[in-house]
Amino acid sequence: MSWHELENAPDDTAGSIFDPTPEHRMLREMVADFTRNEVEPQAEHHDREQTLNLPLFRKLGELGLHGITVPEEHGGAGMDATAAVIVHHELSKSDPGFCLAYLAHAMLFVNNFYHCSDDGQKARFLAPTLTGETVGAMCMTEPGHGTDVLGMTTTAVKKGDEYVLNGTKTYITNGPDADFFLVYAKLDGRVTSFVVDRASPGFSTGNPIHKMGMRASTMSEVIFEDCVIPASNLLGQEGGGLVHMMRNLEIERLTLAAMSLGIADRCLEIMVHHAAERVAFGQPINRFGQIQRYIGESYAKTEATRALVYSVARQVGPGRNNRLGSDASKLFAAPVGKEVADNCMQVMGGSGYCSEYPVERLLRDAKLLEIGGGTLESHQKNITKDLTREMTR
Amino acid sequence: MKIGVLLKQVPASDSRIKIADPQRGVALDDVKWEINPYDEFALEAALALLDAKVASDVVLLTVGGADTEQRIRDGLARGATAAVRLDDAAFGGSDCLGVSRILAAAVKAEGITLVFAGKQAIDGDNAQVPAMVAELLGWGYVGEVDQLEVTGAGAKAWRAAGGGARDVVEVGLPAVIGCDKGLNQPRYASLKGIMMAKRKKIDVKGAGAIGVDAGSVGASAALVSETNWGEPPARPPGRVLQGDDAARVKALVAALRDEVKVI
Repeated sequence: MSWHELENAPDDTAGSIFDPTPEHRMLREMVADFTRNEVEPQAEHHDREQTLNLPLFRKLGELGLHGITVPEEHGGAGMDATAAVIVHHELSKSDPGFCLAYLAHAMLFVNNFYHCSDDGQKARFLAPTLTGETVGAMCMTEPGHGTDVLGMTTTAVKKGDEYVLNGTKTYITNGPDADFFLVYAKLDGRVTSFVVDRASPGFSTGNPIHKMGMRASTMSEVIFEDCVIPASNLLGQEGGGLVHMMRNLEIERLTLAAMSLGIADRCLEIMVHHAAERVAFGQPINRFGQIQRYIGESYAKTEATRALVYSVARQVGPGRNNRLGSDASKLFAAPVGKEVADNCMQVMGGSGYCSEYPVERLLRDAKLLEIGGGTLESHQKNITKDLTREMTR
Repeated sequence: MKIGVLLKQVPASDSRIKIADPQRGVALDDVKWEINPYDEFALEAALALLDAKVASDVVLLTVGGADTEQRIRDGLARGATAAVRLDDAAFGGSDCLGVSRILAAAVKAEGITLVFAGKQAIDGDNAQVPAMVAELLGWGYVGEVDQLEVTGAGAKAWRAAGGGARDVVEVGLPAVIGCDKGLNQPRYASLKGIMMAKRKKIDVKGAGAIGVDAGSVGASAALVSETNWGEPPARPPGRVLQGDDAARVKALVAALRDEVKVI
């Protein structure tokens, strides 16, 4: 069984938490086929060049994946968090960097924007982002404020029929390529959401930020210097940004956890094949206990991640919240993705360290998931806070 | 124009096939199923004509039990407009001729004027059904087609004729086309297609509904019976030729000429 089928034969999982409906099964098969045929062959090139493959990104739009969580009446597929997990899981078996660009667009921009925009804003911004004709990004982190996001210093001031934004956001995935940005800024001290067009006066992006991994997605600073946007670009109510931010963080963290699962699945498969084929001291290296420990522990942790991520996915969506679960998923999955990739490299030795195989790329990619979308430490903080509130009241 | 696509479920091409019993055939319990790859070219050819508005409907025709419905749904998700699953206790044990009789009757019952099929299925590799369906219907048949132009009245088909030569065949409609690799690039099911597929109904029809004589199909009518199943012979071990380059080239040429007999 090859890596794209490691999920077990889909026929066996129909009706399971992994593929709860025939539509989930078909989605998984479609994305797995697409990943094997179209994503895998280009992954190494775009990692090396540090570029987003925009034509491939637009193909995701042709397949309808950019609007996976948007209801059908607004041009999306109306699917749930499990479906979003499936897409990120499968894409990340080949190219987590490309998948991160998809996540920044489809989860951080499209999904968030859909739930906090009015009909007029949907008419202006949604359709081209569903096709992938335009790229979306979300601006939260600032040079001086990461995990302590509420300390953000980017401001918005209302002047007549316009808002004027000032400040700098950083580590913005898709920054160099995006057309539309969902921006959090403080208006009279309250976090407020805006949609900003790249063409707005006073808007600019910095040079691409070079990264250790996830290099098939681009990243930059986003700079607002007296950036003027129409008042109609306010999303929801003034001061409503915190709700938008917290509501979207759950699916963001869950899909990031699914990316770690995809990395672990792929690396486990490579590890098992290599250990069966590589001969040392006259026998396959999978006969050695040291190698068996890498394989056994990698498998057990990957399966635990799979069960956790897909279980929590059933409890996340509009009107359903599970912050504890989404934080726990990413807190557990991200180190597993990195550990299994590292174990794979160790089993492969020198060949795993070389870029001829995808493992060194996947290991570099895996590290980001311990940082982006919430550091491990932020998940520990959130879990402690939520458990304390639940258990000590 | 209403187009029919003969769709068969087969074990995935990378399945590990094991013999369950020499008299019963292969073990299918752990097999992952997929649409016969050549049928994917057939489906794509039909969908292209639907996109071009040359066809008004694309109907999937599958002989099989309820377990085939996942593959049928996959075809509907790619854009087929309707599906008929042909299922009847009388159909069990049909050989290629029996299956062809069922499919030919269904083609007639559905009012289809052009049939696309894979040139063969990758499980039995018989490559008989498309031609038999055409013969039973009295229609023209062109097999192994890798290039095609369809007009309202007929089709022009190209296929490899060996040695790089091309065979060009013109056929009037109605007709059956056996599709080969290279004919097109099968599309992925879009998410929109997947969501629409769940609203499409799969009709299930038996012998009576399609007007096929139950006595002409099934195990009792089969002209072909499978008598024994076995693994292919084990691959002989490789041999490393010894000596310097000149000696090894000489030994290689001798082996290819005298032992393998390919030169």
